[in-house]
Amino acid sequence: MKKVDLVGVGMTVFGKHPDKTGRDLLLEAVRETVSHVDMGIDIKKDVKALFIGYFTPELYEHQGHIGALAAEWLGLSGIPAFRTESACASSSAAFATGYWAVASGMYDLVMVGGVEKMTGLNTAGVTDALSIAADNIYELPTGITFPGLFALMAQEYFEKYHVTWDDLQAIPIKNHHNGALNPRAQFRSEILDIAEKTGNKIGVKFKDEMTFLKSPSNPAVTYPIRLFDCCPISDGAAVAVLASGDISKNFTDKPLHVEGIGLGTDTITLSGRKDLTSSKAIVNAARAAYQMAGVKPEEIDTAEVHDCFTINEAIITEDLGFFGRGEGLKAAKEGRTALSGDKPVNTDGGLKCKGHPVGATGIGMIHEIWLQLRGEAGERQVKGNPEIGLTCNVGGSNASAVVLIFKR
Amino acid sequence: MMMVKDYLDGLKNGRIPGSRCKRCGNVMFPLKPVCSDCGSFDLNELQSKGKGVVRSCTVIYAAPVRLKDSAPYVVGLIKLEEGASIMGRIIGTDPDHPDDIKAGTKVKFEPLKQGDEIVVAFRPQQ
Ligand SMILES: [Zn+2]
Repeated sequence: MKKVDLVGVGMTVFGKHPDKTGRDLLLEAVRETVSHVDMGIDIKKDVKALFIGYFTPELYEHQGHIGALAAEWLGLSGIPAFRTESACASSSAAFATGYWAVASGMYDLVMVGGVEKMTGLNTAGVTDALSIAADNIYELPTGITFPGLFALMAQEYFEKYHVTWDDLQAIPIKNHHNGALNPRAQFRSEILDIAEKTGNKIGVKFKDEMTFLKSPSNPAVTYPIRLFDCCPISDGAAVAVLASGDISKNFTDKPLHVEGIGLGTDTITLSGRKDLTSSKAIVNAARAAYQMAGVKPEEIDTAEVHDCFTINEAIITEDLGFFGRGEGLKAAKEGRTALSGDKPVNTDGGLKCKGHPVGATGIGMIHEIWLQLRGEAGERQVKGNPEIGLTCNVGGSNASAVVLIFKR
Repeated sequence: MMMVKDYLDGLKNGRIPGSRCKRCGNVMFPLKPVCSDCGSFDLNELQSKGKGVVRSCTVIYAAPVRLKDSAPYVVGLIKLEEGASIMGRIIGTDPDHPDDIKAGTKVKFEPLKQGDEIVVAFRPQQ
């Protein structure tokens, strides 16, 4: 197998882009990516194949056949191109496909990306579109929604580990702190600042974050999940270039080496799982990635994990082996996952603040690891020259997962 | 070979169809066509008696478009007496008091008509 290196990555700002379609966002991310390849790249000459993640273009843009469409829009018509779909892990699936394509020796350089243009639908429409990542015969007829599936996990977690919703709030508070430092994030405010602004509008003074988070200004979505436990609806795209280790030096002196890659699945039905506080998809993906990289969980310097709902950051940091069972929330409360902690998690604000354009999220995570390991993360740079970074991107209710380990 | 139709037909007739592996005894609800433990295709159909306990439950305030007039409502994961879990609506409880339904609350299957379809639902037992 060939070694595979990441030689460039770029993303749009995640958020609302009312004037742009999915293909416009993708092109914008490609232009960003090209500008981030240290020694330049001629995509027309260098890119041998293109893999694009997009979860539900049929529902958002009444568009299929994304591979050929993207190739044409990027001026690359002629090369192999197709779409990958694994719900919210669609762009990590594109990355994995690109990895296999280069590692096999079949292509020496490929472009992988992801996009989702969501805000053209209203909240109810998006809720319906997202719901098809769950089982449409066995579970959706009950009226369950995605926030509902994660609420069921949260309830089982609370019951099992004797914690409450209050304990969970360390996670959104931390992620808002990080997001405030990220110019590409959808929400760039501390929760305290949002509380003050909201308070001024309605004539209430919130004395701290918890008073605000427990108020009607943070409405219930599905018990016990409230609005600030949920990631927003976003538009955005992210793109990466993968090159064979034989040629990566032609593009940059500072590539990130893809050291470990692991994938897995769990049952799509929650009813099929014996334990809702863990995911077989994540555990299996992590085990494979650690083994391939020859790295232990304690050696990871910084990680990006899929906090689509706040409870999931706790679950994933446990499934990745960063913390013991039931200790993920405690670690967040103690500041261990903060920028200044011993295991910084979601330094870009996570899905909660950076935004979650579903098909773009996985490569959006890789973008942050790229910045952190190259020492280019600015105000939110993790101290101590981080060397090893990890991303954990999941599909749906953690029914599919991709774990990637990068070294500089 | 078991198909989705077997599940839907069973549900229409007020039953919860499941399956049991002839090789390893694994019990699956709702029915699965292949054993999730040992991979065997050799399964028997099994009907649930419809009794179980709540594992986890939630109140849906923000409902899908087709159910927006029904919200808020309660959905839970029920562990059946036969040994596997199934998701269902929980009826006969007040969505405004979500803590009334705790893990371990005994419930009984009661099919719920929702438009043209029958939905898996359970009612708490005294
Ligand atoms: Zn079996």
